Amino acid sequence: MEVLLGAAGCFAAVIGYSILVETPGKYILQAGAAGAGGAGVYICCLQLGLGTVFATFLSALVIALLAHTFARIFKAPVTVFLIAGILPTVPGAGMYRIVYYMILNDRSQTAYYLLQTLEIAGVIALAVFIVDALFRLHVNIRKKGA
Amino acid sequence: MDYRLIADTAILAGEIMLRSGAETYRVEDTMKHILDTAGAEKTEAIVMLTGIIVTINDPGADAVTVMRRIRDRGTNMNRIVEVNEISRKYCAGEVSLEEIRQKLESMKGHRYSTWMYNLATVLVPAGFAPLFGGGIAEIAASAVTGVVSAVLITAGKKTGIGSFILNMLCSVGIAVTAVLLKAWHPALNMDTVIISGIMPLVPGVAITNAIRDTLRGDYISGGARVLEAFVTAASVAIGIGAGIASVSMLWRGGVLL
Repeated sequence: MEVLLGAAGCFAAVIGYSILVETPGKYILQAGAAGAGGAGVYICCLQLGLGTVFATFLSALVIALLAHTFARIFKAPVTVFLIAGILPTVPGAGMYRIVYYMILNDRSQTAYYLLQTLEIAGVIALAVFIVDALFRLHVNIRKKGA
Repeated sequence: MDYRLIADTAILAGEIMLRSGAETYRVEDTMKHILDTAGAEKTEAIVMLTGIIVTINDPGADAVTVMRRIRDRGTNMNRIVEVNEISRKYCAGEVSLEEIRQKLESMKGHRYSTWMYNLATVLVPAGFAPLFGGGIAEIAASAVTGVVSAVLITAGKKTGIGSFILNMLCSVGIAVTAVLLKAWHPALNMDTVIISGIMPLVPGVAITNAIRDTLRGDYISGGARVLEAFVTAASVAIGIGAGIASVSMLWRGGVLL
């Protein structure tokens, strides 16, 4: 139930964000689907008791895979689906908390969120990187075969 | 081949992409493709978040170098998609240089009406509330903070204030709304409402792109993006802090964190 509600919410939120970043209308639903898929995986992983960072990694992998697949099907740059779709897992709240606790002069919380945010951003970048490399490999192999 | 025109067109395409939030390597890639149609011996395109330099060098002629300073950056997928299409068509030889130059110059930025933006600004916080553990009450409260920030953003854009101050004002609005709603309905989880409310403002995508650039070896852009992300985060956090503090000061003892 929680998974469904979370995924549905993220679907709506990603569609809203897609409009804010001027995504052309024909790609908005796909971006929303990528975001909802990633959010679903993220909440599932958290419920299974995996850590936040690992859950983020898995959901970023799913989002990147979906974004690359959509980009190939609908002939658009990957960024269009990736940036909006990745929004649910991206550490926006973490960035805010770092500076917020800095203002409150709470060093230990600042350090905790700083590390966590860098870890999350790092694993998302890693996941995107891995999927990029996989798809490039696929293209290269096909080129050699042809 | 007119090297000057090619360099100008390439830098125009690059400028549009960089200002629309494309990744550094993608901007360099697109410009390089356009430059390579000159058939010169050596072409280079270098992108640092705050500026672009392209150069075409051929033994038979003087080197052409064009430089452009980039001051403001946002995210605009529509432009990225269009520049991508235009440059691909040009590199495939389907359209001429003059045509793509005209297309790039006449490209318009906005796709949707102000109403759609405002609706989207409300939709984003409301949609994110369940992800941060919110129930029906939190979804409704987040939507209210979305309305407040939509009003503030629309007003801010009309007066043309800078993005740092605008982010800060929006965050103050969101914090004040969240604290007041909490006072009215004590069961509300204020943290969830605030985090959902600031989702359209916080630089989550920016910090991720910063790490992506850094992993790719674009250290100057990566470092600049990290700084940019922290400056944006600071504007939001200062706004939230100021909002909460001012309400509890005005309403001493009545509302606390």
